[in-house]
Amino acid sequence: MDATAQILFGGLFQGSLYAMMAVGLALIWTTIGVFNFTHGVMMMLGAYIAWTLSEIGLPFALVLPLVIVVMAAVGWALQASVVRPLIGRPNIVLVVVITTLAAASLIENATLEIWGPRSKQLPPLIAGNTTILGVGVSLHQIAIIVIAPVVLAALWFFLNRTRLGLALRAVAQNEDASLLVGLNVKALYGLAFAISAALAALAGIFMGGYRFMSPVMGADPLLKALIVVVFGGLSSVSGPIFAAYLIGFFEAICSYYFGLYWTPALLFAVLIVTLMIRPEGIFGSKSRGLA
Amino acid sequence: MSALLEVQSLTAGYGRIDVLHDISISVGTHGNVGLFGPNGHGKTTLLRTISGLLKTKSGTITFDGKPIANASPRSIVDMGLIHVPQGNRLFPDLTIAECLTLGAYTKRARADEAANREKVVKIFPKLAERWRQKVRTLSGGERQMVSIGTALMGSPKLLILDEPTLGLAPKIKEELCASVLDISKGGVPLIVVEQDVEFLLELSQHLYLINHGEVATEIKPGETMDHAEIMALYFGQ
Ligand SMILES: Nc1ncnc2c1ncn2[C@@H]1O[C@H](COP(=O)(O)OP(=O)(O)OP(=O)(O)O)[C@@H](O)[C@H]1O
Ligand SMILES: [Mg+2]
Repeated sequence: MDATAQILFGGLFQGSLYAMMAVGLALIWTTIGVFNFTHGVMMMLGAYIAWTLSEIGLPFALVLPLVIVVMAAVGWALQASVVRPLIGRPNIVLVVVITTLAAASLIENATLEIWGPRSKQLPPLIAGNTTILGVGVSLHQIAIIVIAPVVLAALWFFLNRTRLGLALRAVAQNEDASLLVGLNVKALYGLAFAISAALAALAGIFMGGYRFMSPVMGADPLLKALIVVVFGGLSSVSGPIFAAYLIGFFEAICSYYFGLYWTPALLFAVLIVTLMIRPEGIFGSKSRGLA
Repeated sequence: MSALLEVQSLTAGYGRIDVLHDISISVGTHGNVGLFGPNGHGKTTLLRTISGLLKTKSGTITFDGKPIANASPRSIVDMGLIHVPQGNRLFPDLTIAECLTLGAYTKRARADEAANREKVVKIFPKLAERWRQKVRTLSGGERQMVSIGTALMGSPKLLILDEPTLGLAPKIKEELCASVLDISKGGVPLIVVEQDVEFLLELSQHLYLINHGEVATEIKPGETMDHAEIMALYFGQ
């Protein structure tokens, strides 16, 4: 009972965080066809801005929407500065890896310069602990387990049930045809980055509420998000969501039975085998496009 | 009657290579315009420059009295100049219904969305039977119908069709030709590029032979020209 409950909470919690991160990465890949290596620092920056805002005394209910708006703007600006000028170049995938890695390192060092090296922590979303099914969990973790699926469902609804979401899915599939129906392709690229950065920032706030923050706190989540999107397939946003929870549970099971030490090795072993059997990922199809 | 679309001394191309050299055409004074000519001589390039997908190097383009050279494709679509590109892949993972919704994306077209959708269904009744089918699973003919239907959703004042019957089986081709004629009779002026001379002559009254990125011959109504002469122009260059 204890084992099952522990694995259940661990899996749901990690899966929620991974899904929040991976979905933003997948959104950018599917719409623009580039990998965004600033995704980890977007997460970190969201957490740091939230920390500063709550230090100056703003209530957390106000901090949360403020950070989301600010980080959406940061994502937009990032797209305009290091991605948009390169669109149309034949080697764009590779060049954007380099420009986003450079931007990430710049932001990381700027954070260190501005906020200093001392580690910080955010207040939890909800303070306190509780016992469910015989295991002790923090209310913060419960909140994340509940909020993440709501956010992800809202994103799915936006992409699949609104006109703007339809436009975002369309640019992903055919840029010329999008221009010829009158879509503002540049603005939609900016929007994809804005949404992605806002989701990363939210994940950063979640993480900053139970772990110490540092300028490199986004590196591991970025790596995990990469694993998730490669594992889940890059052709949709629903693939990475399922893959994120799958990997969350896999890690929870591994660390329960084999210990934390072996978990990354086992995870990579599974990833390599998956890619050998299904290079397009377990939920992927061979085309690029949101579904 | 002044021209709906006027292209004057247009030079354009890809990168440093010019494909169009000082080309001038005029649309809307003598009925539908047909463009023809050998493969690879710049017909598609001309249409892509008109709709803003390619930059103009020199020359002017005027649509509905306003200059549109180097304007954004979005603003050109919003003015009612709508282009169905050659070999259109459209949006493979969207459904027919979603494509049509996108066709009415501009503010101007959104107002007439419901009426336009009815029009499209009337012209292509086949589409209504498969509203929720994804474009990637459609046949070539059906995909072309969706492409044209999507363009009609934008309330075109001028419709550009780049080889609409390319690669279609004869029977489907006939059906599509009839639909395009219907659209034209419904009052939408056309620019058509077409390899099928029969269809081109049936559809357009004003012809331009494009050769080496220039207008080699212009044929206005009255200066009738029979099939054989066109074929000679076509293949004789
Ligand atoms: N994206 C591109 N980059 C560079 N050159 C191009 C590009 N597209 C077309 N061209 C060149 O421009 C020239 C004109 O091509 P275009 O497609 O306009 O011809 P076309 O008259 O439409 O031919 P077709 O009847 O085969 O459709 C060709 O020499 C072609 O190789
Ligand atoms: Mg062509």
